[in-house]
Formats: sequence, C-alpha cells, structure tokens
Amino acid sequence: MMPSSPNSQRIARILGLGFVVLGLGELALHIYQAKRSPQPEDWAVLKEPVSQEKRDGDVVVVAPLWTDPWARQALGNDIFPLRDVGRSDMSRYAGALEIGALGQTSPELRGFREVSSKRVGPFTLRRLENPNFSPTVVDFVDLIATGQADVTTWEPTAKCQFTKNARAVAGGLGGHPTFPAARFECPGGVFFNISETVIADQDFRPRRCIWAHPPNKGEVRIRFSDVTLGQVIRGHGGMYWIIERGKLGVPVVLNVRVNGQEIGRYEHKDGDGWSEFEMQLGDNANKKNATVEFGVSSQNNLHRHFCFEAHSR
Amino acid sequence: MKTRKLDWKDDLLAASLALLAMVLLLSTVGNLGYARDEGFYFAAADTYGRWFDLLFTNPKNAFDQKTIDSIWRTNSEHPGLIKSLFALSNLILQKKLHLFGMDGTSYRFPAIALSGAAVALVYRFAAEVRGRLAGFVAALALFFMPRYFYHAHLACFDVPVITMFLLTVYSYWKSMDRGGKVWPVVTGLCFGLALDTKHNSWFLPILFLAHSVVVVLRAKRTGREAKVLVERALTTLSCMAFFGPLVMYSLWPWIWHDTLPRLRAYANFHVHHEYYNMEFFGQNYWKPPMPRLYAPIMTLATVPLVTIGLAFVGFGQRAWAEIRALGAKSKAHGDDSGVYWLWLFAIGISYGAWVFPSTPIFGGTKHWMTAYPFFALFAGIGFSYILTLLRVEARRLKQSAAQKWARSPIAVAALVFIALAAPIAETWHAHPWGLSSYTPLVGGAKGAATLGLNRSFWGYTTGSVVDYLNREVPRNGAVYIHDTAWQAWDMLLKDGRLRKDIRAAGAVHDAQFALYHHEQHMLGQEYQAWVAYGTIAPDHIAGLDGVPVIWIYRKK
Repeated sequence: MMPSSPNSQRIARILGLGFVVLGLGELALHIYQAKRSPQPEDWAVLKEPVSQEKRDGDVVVVAPLWTDPWARQALGNDIFPLRDVGRSDMSRYAGALEIGALGQTSPELRGFREVSSKRVGPFTLRRLENPNFSPTVVDFVDLIATGQADVTTWEPTAKCQFTKNARAVAGGLGGHPTFPAARFECPGGVFFNISETVIADQDFRPRRCIWAHPPNKGEVRIRFSDVTLGQVIRGHGGMYWIIERGKLGVPVVLNVRVNGQEIGRYEHKDGDGWSEFEMQLGDNANKKNATVEFGVSSQNNLHRHFCFEAHSR
Repeated sequence: MKTRKLDWKDDLLAASLALLAMVLLLSTVGNLGYARDEGFYFAAADTYGRWFDLLFTNPKNAFDQKTIDSIWRTNSEHPGLIKSLFALSNLILQKKLHLFGMDGTSYRFPAIALSGAAVALVYRFAAEVRGRLAGFVAALALFFMPRYFYHAHLACFDVPVITMFLLTVYSYWKSMDRGGKVWPVVTGLCFGLALDTKHNSWFLPILFLAHSVVVVLRAKRTGREAKVLVERALTTLSCMAFFGPLVMYSLWPWIWHDTLPRLRAYANFHVHHEYYNMEFFGQNYWKPPMPRLYAPIMTLATVPLVTIGLAFVGFGQRAWAEIRALGAKSKAHGDDSGVYWLWLFAIGISYGAWVFPSTPIFGGTKHWMTAYPFFALFAGIGFSYILTLLRVEARRLKQSAAQKWARSPIAVAALVFIALAAPIAETWHAHPWGLSSYTPLVGGAKGAATLGLNRSFWGYTTGSVVDYLNREVPRNGAVYIHDTAWQAWDMLLKDGRLRKDIRAAGAVHDAQFALYHHEQHMLGQEYQAWVAYGTIAPDHIAGLDGVPVIWIYRKK
C-alpha cells in the first residue's frame, strides 16, 4: 500500500513516529530501569542509620519484599533476628522501621502511624508506631529454643531428652524443615523431635514455630513451668505448605492446659493454612509461676508435620 | 504470490546470520550454568553415546532388542533425535576432535547450530516474501529476544523444535506455493524430524489442515483456481502422513520394538503431564485452573516491545490488504498460498494449548516459543512496510539534500538501529540471567520482581556463582546444590568451572554452604538454611539489576 491520499500520509507519519518513539523509548527505558537504584552496592549505606533508628521492640521491615535478602545481608542477624523474620503477626511490635526502595511501602505496616521519614541514599527510612501494640509476656518458642521445657510422650510414656548437640537435619529439595541441633528428641525417630524451626506457610512466608509432630498414639506434651502469664494465650498453627495443600491428612489437635486445667483446644485441618488461635486465661490471667502444657495429637499421624507458635499477652 | 527469488547474496547473508548467531552463542556459553533439564539430557546423551559406540564397533549387538531397550529406555519420555545429536557431538566433536574448551559445550553445540539455522531460515522466509531488509530485521528480531537467546544456548529441545517447526512450515509453504514433488517430500521429511524432536510437532498437521481449508475457501471466494491448491495440500499432507512417522521411527530406536505401547506411553506422559509450580503476579499456580492470560502477558512482558510493535504493524498491514482483496474479489490478489495466514495460524496454534486452564504453565515462555519466529517474520514485514511509507514520505520533502539523506543507506541503517537497538541491549544485558529478564513494559527485572513474576527456574544460575564457590569453599568442602541437577553440577566440575574437590550435598546439614535458587515455592529451602546455619544473612547474592536470583548461605 502506498501513501497517496492525505489519510495514507497521516498513517505513514503516525507509524513512522510511533516506531521511532517505541524503539528509542524502549531502549531508554531499559537503560533507566537497569541502572535504577538500589544496586547491590547501595545497601551498605543503611548500616549506621538503621542501627541508630531502631529501638527495642521495633521490627525492621523491607519494601518491596524481594529486596529483603540484600537488607539481611547488609544488616545481619542483629537487625533481623530469626524471631522477627519468622514473625506471625505485627501486633507484638511497638513500632517498625521500614526500609523502602523504589517508592514501595510494606503492606504489613498498613494501620501503623508514621512518626518520621528520611532519605538514606536511594532508600526511604520510615519510623512507624503501632496503634494496636499488644506486648508479649512470654513467647513459648523462645523457651523451646533454650530447652526450658519438659517434653513427654504418652502411650507409651517416655521423656524426651533435650540436647544442644544433635545433628541438624534438613529435608532438602521438597523435604521437611530443618530440625536444629538444639532439640528435644523423642522415641520414634528424628521426625518426633520438639524444636524451634521455620516452616514455609501456604503463602511461602517464614513462620518460626515449635515443631511438634504428633506421635503414633496419644499425645506429645510440652510443659513449661514457672511461666508468667498475661490475659490470653495466643498463637498460630500450621504445616509446611506441600504437606497441607494436598488436603489428604486428618486434623491435628492442640490442647492447651494451664495448671492442669484445659483452657482451650485448637484443631488444625489441612487447608486452614497458618491460622490463629486465642484462648482466654480466665482465673489464670496474670499468674506467675504457672505451668502451661501443650498437647499435640492426631488420629492418624501420617505426614502430620505440625508446627505452632504460642505466646501469652 | 510473487515471491523474490533468492540469489547467492541471500545465501551468503543467511549463512552469515547463522554464523553470527552461533559465534555469539558459543562466545557466551561459558558463563551460563546448566539447567536442570540439561542435566537429564547429558545423562541420556551419554547413555545413547554407548549405543553409537556399539553401532560403529559391533553393529549386530547394537541392533539387538535387549541392547536397544536397556539403552534407549533412558529418558524415553522424549524422542531421541536431539539427544542423539548431543551424543554424537560429544563423541565426535569433543572426544575425537577436541573442538570445545568445555565438555558441556559439546552437548550444547547441536542446539546452538540449530538456533543458527532458525535465524537463517527466518531470514530466507521473510526475504522471499518481502525482501532482504525484512529478512535481516526478522532474523535478528528473533535472535535478540532475550528468552530465545537464553534457550538457544541449552542442550534442550525447546529451540531445536522451533527450528524443526519453522522448517516444516517453510517447506509446507513452498509446497503450496510452488507445487511439484520435491517440496511435499521435503515437508514430510522435516515433519518426521520435528516429530522426533518434541511434541510441539503434533500440532503441525492441524495447522496445515486448517490453513489449506482457509486458502481453498479464500480462492473460491475470489474466483481463483482452488483445485490446484487442494491437490497441493493433499499431496503435502499425504507425504507428511507417510514420511513423518517413517523418519521418526527410523531415528528413534526406542520405538523399534513394542512400537504402539511405547508411543502411547510417550503421548500419555505429555498429555497427562504432572503440574509443577509457577509464580504469576505473586500467586503460585500448581493445579488447574491455570490463568488464561499467562501466555499473552508473559509474551508481552518478555519479548521486546519494538519487536511486538513491528509485528502488529506487519500483521495489521497484511490483514488490511487481505480484507481489501477479499472484498474486491480480485483475481490479482497474488498470495494464493496464504503465507500470512500460515504465519498467523502458526502463532495461533503455538498458543492454542494455553487457552485452556488445564494446561500447565511451569515452563514459562518456552512452551509457546514456536510462535516467536512468526512474530519475527511479521516484525520484518512491519519494518519493511514502515520503511516503504517513510521512503514515499521522503519524496515529498522539499529540500533535495534532505530527500537524498532520507533515502540514503545511513537513514536505512538508522531505522534498522531503532528496530534492533533495544532488543540487542536487553538480550545482551540479560545474559546469563535470561529467565530473569523482563521488558520495560513491566519495569524490567525489578518491576517484574515487584509484580511477583517468576525470576528463574531450573537451577541454572549456579553457573553464575562458581567464582564465589571456588574462592570461598574450603578444600573438600561441601555445597548444598538445591535445584541444580546432579548431572548439571557434575558437568560444571568436568568443565573445570568448579574446583574438583568441591562436593555436592543433597541437604543443607551435609554442607558448609547452601545455594538457594529463588522461586516462590522454593522459599522453604532458604528457611532450611536459616535454621541449620543459624543465620538469616546470605553470604553472597547474585542476580540481574539488583534483583536477587541466587544467594548463598555459609555455615557459621
């Protein structure tokens, strides 16, 4: 088709101009986007300002989420303790320090109040307060990690020994979460240990929790003594996503007893995902020196890779 | 249709383009790690290599059913042709002639050569239909698609099947355009090669049948001779029916015995393929329904925009010409063999399976990549059309100097630069992170990561951290290799890219270093390292444009 009419001339100009704009525009955009900060070397600049800005009780959050490995590499375990990285909810934090890049903010901090904001290199460092802060009195995952519990199985009754020097075992590709060197070892094999680990939930988020595979019969009981309590025991339970998504297993039951009295029961069904439970402490509220026992059982323990976190507020 | 008769200059240009493609691929192969599937094909090729050894030394034994079954059973879920080429390349070009610096390259070489052939073929196709410049732009537009460039390096079937698919389509078109006896037979032979390459070839008879019906109906509507088209179509399809299975059978020893059950098993493997995981807009898909927009969106997000734009212009111009010709019922239409319909249908059939929400999406863009040469062909047509328009416009320029400049080779070169600069820049910049590359439409690699588009799969990026591992891993130290296939890791050792004393481990607890290849559903692997090594801080991170793709944990 040759452009003989004015219409054709217009088409020729539009196409010609469109082609030039598209070709050169794409090239320019590509160069801009490839060179756009943050680049790997930019992250080091955060070290000092983040250490200065972070207060006790703050959680450090990175946006967008995919930049998280860079922040963790630059700032390390002190700024990102496993407890925070594997958090289950934000209400336990009084405040947050957000490292924002590329104009992004974290959806986790919706509802937080911005207190201050400043630019650090290509980043925006925001301090935020949590209006729904609810302090944690005791975190049972912390206690498990240090062996401050008694673990027993029932039917048959056996005491699970705590060791700090077991061989850490991880499942590898498609396998179970890591069972750390510090763990309670119960009869029946390595799966029947009680330990602090991290699972990937249904959204692949890290969840720090107590690994508590139910035994073949009866329940495994995890008892914490001399515990100071708040008003409630709150927590979450779930299983590694690949176990849970097939929805093939039977429910896992978590019984919570305080000073020998059952205060609640949480039943986890496959497909529930990382789900929350909360139990009122009633007469046991604010008690000191309480004994809290978690009993985990299942009618059929095949592939019941149950993990839970619990704390009192 | 009046097609250009190609001359020696075209042959030379096509060969040069193929050579350029191969040289670029060979010069960039050294820092590209081995994809998971390549590992499996290395193993298969080595097994088949034993059979070829036997064939040369003890042919009687080679044809014994027990021998055939024991050898060709390996990886029998895919046909044997391309893996046989991998094996022969390794046996002859490497073990005998020592042509390559690394063993792995010898397995990759047949696919690299076929990639070059595809580039040359696109040139010829477009040059015949629309001229030399269209061919040149089309050929390079294909080669400089970042995902094509990545796959073109691999000892896999994805680019070889593009070549075979294109070759069969080209031969079919020649049969329809020229008639005679040679091209239908060539089409049948090419179809056989395609059948023995990958199952995408199953769609070719459907494509040609649909195309023949359309061109015949079209001829009838415009009052042109339809009978000759019917004859040509029937001849070609008959040759495909005869030669296709024959070639496939001849070149795949696995189906020499128990042919039907084995073919059934092969078909069933692909028809009922298991579902793997794939991230799309932050969601992990692992079972139906799959997102129907996956294929078109991923195409727009990964094929350079200027190439897609030119393809739309080319398609639009041809569609408009077709509509006008059909409306006018003009006998002078010319394009009796319906080459543009053929290209359009080839694109359509390549995407056809992804219309259905039951089709798995785990392979990213590679599954419909057979469409890409036809995008490139339309892009060549689009470029040629714009150039024609601009030349006509240039004639209207008042100043003769401006008019002269506008029609000069420099102006043409400038337009070629505009068409290819972004694709070349994106492709070159993306290497060796081909599967992490995205176009500016989604914000490049960073934008895609923010949107939650898959960053990588197949664990091939281990090749990008070998310098770190060679430097940091202590003598006889072990590395958890995560998604790297064992055979892919072994090839890095064999190549000398990794220190020979570095051991691979199947779990983080058996290693001092843990690789993590990021995929959304793999995140649990990273958490395994956190707990085992007592740290959440990676020791090393690598990726594209600051987007982490692979990172490494070190035991404290």
